[in-house]
Amino acid sequence: MEFDEIKDALLSEVDTGLKFANSLDKAAEFEIYLYYRSKSNVEIKQGVVEATDGIVAGTAVRATRDQKLSFASSSGISSNHVKRALQDAISSLKATSEKDTRFKGFCEPKPPGKEGKFAPEILELTTDDLVGYSLQLIGNMTKANGRLLAAVGCEKTWGGFAIGNSLGLQQASTSAHNACSAYAMAIDGEERRTGSEELVTRDKALDVSGIGEKAAEKALSLLGAKKLGQTTTLPTLWVPWAAASYILSSLQQATKGSTVVEGLSPLREKQGEKIAHPNFSLVDDGQNPLGIETEAIDAEGHPQGRTVIVKNGMLKSFIFDSYYGRIAGKASTGNCARSGGPFGSRLPYEDAPSIFSKNLEVAAGKQSEEELIASIDGQGLLITDIPIGIFHSSVETGEFSAVASSVFLIEDGEKKRPLEPVSIAGNFYKGLEQLLGVGNNIEITSLFVTTPSLLIDGISVTG
Amino acid sequence: MLEKLQAAVSLGEKLGADFVEARFDDLTLRTLRRIKTKKDDTWKDIMLKSRTGTGIICYFDGTPGYSFTASEDLKDIEETVTRAYGMAKAASTAATLKLDFDRRPTVKSRSSDSLSVKIHPKTKGQDYKMDLINRMVDTAFDVGKEIENITGAYGELTGQKLFTNSEASIIKWEFLLVDMMCRVTSKASSGALVFGSERNAGSLGLEAYNRKGSTPEEVGKKAAMFAAEQIQAKPCPAGKFATLIDNELAGVLAHESFGHLSEADFVTMGASPLAGKIGNMLGTKHATIVDGGNPDIKKEGGMWLPFDDQGIRANMTTILDRGIFKHYLHNRGTAQQLEQEPTGNCRAVHFGFMPIPRMTNTYFKPGDLTEEEALEQLGTGIYAIQTSGGQVERDGSFLFKADRGYWVEHGEIQHPILEVSLSGNILELLQHIEGATRDIGLWGSYFGGCGKFGQYPLPAGIGGPKLLIQNVTFGGKA
Repeated sequence: MEFDEIKDALLSEVDTGLKFANSLDKAAEFEIYLYYRSKSNVEIKQGVVEATDGIVAGTAVRATRDQKLSFASSSGISSNHVKRALQDAISSLKATSEKDTRFKGFCEPKPPGKEGKFAPEILELTTDDLVGYSLQLIGNMTKANGRLLAAVGCEKTWGGFAIGNSLGLQQASTSAHNACSAYAMAIDGEERRTGSEELVTRDKALDVSGIGEKAAEKALSLLGAKKLGQTTTLPTLWVPWAAASYILSSLQQATKGSTVVEGLSPLREKQGEKIAHPNFSLVDDGQNPLGIETEAIDAEGHPQGRTVIVKNGMLKSFIFDSYYGRIAGKASTGNCARSGGPFGSRLPYEDAPSIFSKNLEVAAGKQSEEELIASIDGQGLLITDIPIGIFHSSVETGEFSAVASSVFLIEDGEKKRPLEPVSIAGNFYKGLEQLLGVGNNIEITSLFVTTPSLLIDGISVTG
Repeated sequence: MLEKLQAAVSLGEKLGADFVEARFDDLTLRTLRRIKTKKDDTWKDIMLKSRTGTGIICYFDGTPGYSFTASEDLKDIEETVTRAYGMAKAASTAATLKLDFDRRPTVKSRSSDSLSVKIHPKTKGQDYKMDLINRMVDTAFDVGKEIENITGAYGELTGQKLFTNSEASIIKWEFLLVDMMCRVTSKASSGALVFGSERNAGSLGLEAYNRKGSTPEEVGKKAAMFAAEQIQAKPCPAGKFATLIDNELAGVLAHESFGHLSEADFVTMGASPLAGKIGNMLGTKHATIVDGGNPDIKKEGGMWLPFDDQGIRANMTTILDRGIFKHYLHNRGTAQQLEQEPTGNCRAVHFGFMPIPRMTNTYFKPGDLTEEEALEQLGTGIYAIQTSGGQVERDGSFLFKADRGYWVEHGEIQHPILEVSLSGNILELLQHIEGATRDIGLWGSYFGGCGKFGQYPLPAGIGGPKLLIQNVTFGGKA
């Protein structure tokens, strides 16, 4: 299937499927979701090349009757796949008397939002192009230091999805993006230090210049690391990549309508209250034309939108799909997802609708990273990559304990020597209240969080 | 379907591939989830998923090209072969390290390669499984304190895996994995939320949930009691302590910190600190780590994987033998490159991915201590229990999370502690293992799994005995 045929082809199958569903069970209501995406990627890991090119295509069906709700999925988007999923959903429905008493129906039809930017040249990228870009990344990385180990990858992906339901909703959205990543390991005797850099864009074809060099530079700058040699509490400056992981592990989780409604979010009763330093503001923008997660509709067909989550430290809103929005008495914010977020599954049609942010954006502050460093009295830490284990925290407690393996000592307002891995621990929510500064160095990350550097006080450190 | 896969292999060879592998998954996944909160009680997920698809690898000049399709039409499968061959050919121009492998004898599977159980989940309806969750959640609700949320879930992954290749191997076996878990969230008087969880998962028949200690009621009760205990728990002090880690945590240690580093693709890259270390003494005599797809499921539990996704029959690989490093975990190409035998570790999460070196069931071998003797030997330190996961970097530094634990003084448990992270470098830690208990338990999970290079969640078997380790760095509060 060609890119510009996707919407019509998927919508036609959705329409046929809904008619078939109606013939199977007139008393039930149905939702059909079809997903089609081409993925090509080339990875070169220290000379070993692996290349993949395939089409991910699948069907998901939800069926409901008398407040009973079932889900079925099938690999493939042919009429037979749609029929199989419909029949499985109906048989699950028949096999149970258990209800989802909170379910009040599928998403109501509404005009769609806008798709994000589309660069046709992404579709033109060939396997040879991806191989060429990967070689360029390695060349740029190893010219800094021939003894670096290098792992790189380049990817292009394009596709779309369509949704229809018994309420008359029938919508589709398409998108394409390309991405590259570079991972460098610098080795000196038994010492191994790593650095990585990634780029993902939807508005232009890949430009890998600078990516390999930055990964190499990060790894090399950490060689010669010494122990911190103390257990104490210090201010920590999280560069955008690290800050993005902080936001993804904390507010992304705790402001999801599902987490709030199910009683799992410590922020569940704090709407309208101050939860962070006044310099901190956060929006989720599912309509940012450059955002990788921007689509015309979300995963249940609701238009994607823009939600102010935190404004000047005040918790303004949670993000919702229609299911949890109705329970909470709020409108959907267009945040329905199927296996959403940066770690989403390659087969999203297998996942039930849930809530995930689209493109989170922390507002820029006024200070440069250098000024933030200079503002630290005594000692502090500069965390330059995603700490190990940061994503293994639980939303309920907000307690985190991770290892910063790309980290420098800050002393008397200056960046000093690299440090051996430092254990860092604290509480995500307290950390936001103890924010000392927000940088002006906004970066878009492949964690789907755009953020500047964040200076957070009161982090326990051991190393 | 076998004929179509065989046609795919022939086509790949005709196009010019040196070797072709074709596999077809016909799997069914079922997820059932009930959520009970203070306000609501609802069936959130009643899900049935059919996962069918074909994956083709063409090798050209020591370089693999992979493609996949969900379609079962021969025409689409042939296009998939053409794409895979095209990718291999284009990629081979950039490869400076080729992972060729020699031909091996034809492999044919036997019916005994599929696990036989008393109550296969396929023989029981949805209501039977929903009743398991109801019993679990209702017990947790009765037993728990200050409950905010109880989530009870059941998952199963069943179905056939089919494989053939240029060696005319024909491999067919049935995948079986079930998982029943309960997570209880309670509210402490400070307003903070705490949780407790329990699960029973692996390649099991449903008769496992009738056994003492593993019934839904007992799983629900334990989760609720663990959460209730956390209400009173104290933060774990930060610093270096002697520790006894439980079977689950020992499993994550074996998997996250040592298993990943012994995966041979990291080694051929030169990125693993274990590169070139075969024969070296890396740990104490108490540290023996094995990996294999064919553990004694009835006795120890775990996950049944008689073949990997490259058609290599499972065997038990001793990675670390009483501290001495012995073997890597391979696909066929890395085995030849590093002059070892293939180990049956080439696995893909599903047909959408190329198989790569991954673990199967990875665990420490048991020792001779009882839990009481281990605590006595621990003296003063931390008894760390259960985990919500962990992570390792390629330099050997690791971090994993203990969900709960106890502070121990003079061999006696003093008070519960809150969730805490353990971190360090695995090569240092192995030198501080002072003993292992004689009990062993293995699990395989449907919910969650292992992640590597974007391939997540791969069901993997973890577990082991309890391990006594000196000098472990705990995060926690300064």
